[in-house]
Amino acid sequence: MEENLAIKVENLTKKFRIPEHGSPTTLQERFVRPLSKKNMVDFVALKDLSFEVKKGEFFSVIGPNGAGKSTLLKLISGIYIPDDGSIDVDGKLVPFLELGVGFNPDLSARENVYLNGTILGLTEKEIDESVDDIFEFAELKEFEDLSIKKFSSGMQVRLAFSIAIRVKSDILVLDEVLAVGDGEFQKKCFAYFDEIVGKKTILFVSHGLGSVKRYSDRVLWLKEDKTYEIGDPKEMVDRYSQTF
Amino acid sequence: MNSNDLDLYKQFVKTTFKMRYKGSILGFLWVLLKPFFVFLILFVIFSHMSSTAGGLTSQQYAVYLLSGLIVYTFFNEGMIWGMGSIMERAQLIIKINFKRDVVVASSLSMALINFSINLLIVLVVALILNISISFLGLAYILLISLAMLLGLYGISFFTSIWLVHVRDLQHIMELVLQLLFYASAVFFPVEMIPEKYRFIVYYNPMARFVKAVREALIYGQITDLKFVLVALVGSIVLVFLGRVYFNKHIKKIAEHF
Repeated sequence: MEENLAIKVENLTKKFRIPEHGSPTTLQERFVRPLSKKNMVDFVALKDLSFEVKKGEFFSVIGPNGAGKSTLLKLISGIYIPDDGSIDVDGKLVPFLELGVGFNPDLSARENVYLNGTILGLTEKEIDESVDDIFEFAELKEFEDLSIKKFSSGMQVRLAFSIAIRVKSDILVLDEVLAVGDGEFQKKCFAYFDEIVGKKTILFVSHGLGSVKRYSDRVLWLKEDKTYEIGDPKEMVDRYSQTF
Repeated sequence: MNSNDLDLYKQFVKTTFKMRYKGSILGFLWVLLKPFFVFLILFVIFSHMSSTAGGLTSQQYAVYLLSGLIVYTFFNEGMIWGMGSIMERAQLIIKINFKRDVVVASSLSMALINFSINLLIVLVVALILNISISFLGLAYILLISLAMLLGLYGISFFTSIWLVHVRDLQHIMELVLQLLFYASAVFFPVEMIPEKYRFIVYYNPMARFVKAVREALIYGQITDLKFVLVALVGSIVLVFLGRVYFNKHIKKIAEHF
């Protein structure tokens, strides 16, 4: 892969085999419909997709539901593997597909910082060093020992966001996370994004077309018919807006 | 394994450990209480029968029963938890890419922790009942435990993947383990089985582990060494094969939940 590229996707195709009438995951279902394998159909999520993301670029993906945006992010994050084509990623990639992955409602906030932090790739030592800053940034200092199920959803997201930004990464994969917390906290988040824009490679998926226009260098528009366009953010967003 | 994998493993073990007994008043004490009551029930019902059929004193029967129970429990928990490990973390696996084997190892560690605690208790009970434990016998028990642990680890690489595809395995496994409980002479002397059916015990690795642990514990003898060594080598092979199978199939697992 060329030096200046962070992500290179070539001829990527991803299909899912989905059953026509419910998945035969128990033996009962297999007994009842022994030939049910034949009822499996291919669902094409992504077809022959190629694009490149340069290092330090803010690259956004837009498109309607079902166009394959989430599938694409999961492929790039290594959760799914391609059926065809290839994905090359250069650098440490941190997926923010969902904030607070692995949060355990019965554990205290502090315990969850350790759990979620290690899941995201931090070491225990790194968390030891930054745990106070995390609570500081999340403005949750006095709730450290409270179990997280007592947190409001806003508080949980604030904590999760504060952990996620501690993870050292070269590439951030963001899925609709700009809209977290109240107005005050959102300002902090945007300040953080302003700070990293240009320094880190960012792959952003959003329905918030405003922030796509505001930050992106280029935009990939995935369409329902599995075609796609790549281009200037303003042009892509404006034309996409006209489709609904 | 890099240091994050190790930390992740620790976090998973810690979390599972905390969650398993969270909210119950006696908490961790249940690790000890549950086997104790199972022991008590079986002891009260079968101790008389065993002393007539197997020629064991009731002290010997107590240790006989306890050691059988802890070995069986180790196997039982290892099989169930190891098999369920991937399913249990499905929510995590579909959202983030981390080293999946950590999940299997941490689930098995729970069984190992329980077993270690149980073993300690059996040793204490044996001492109280004036059964002397030889150093060699103890070392042999640890060797057997290692063979079992590796075997469980190897098997879990397969079963954790299979369970995602065929959920019935959960129930089938419970039945098989129940059957194994009766076929391994856990709570009755082998002598109670009619001669013509004793081959069941002979061909049942679980029964032989149980027997070897007992003889090491009660009489300080090393018996069935050849079998234990074969099992150890077999388990190591199983771990290698399991890893290959696991690594091959785990990549696609996120699509099958």
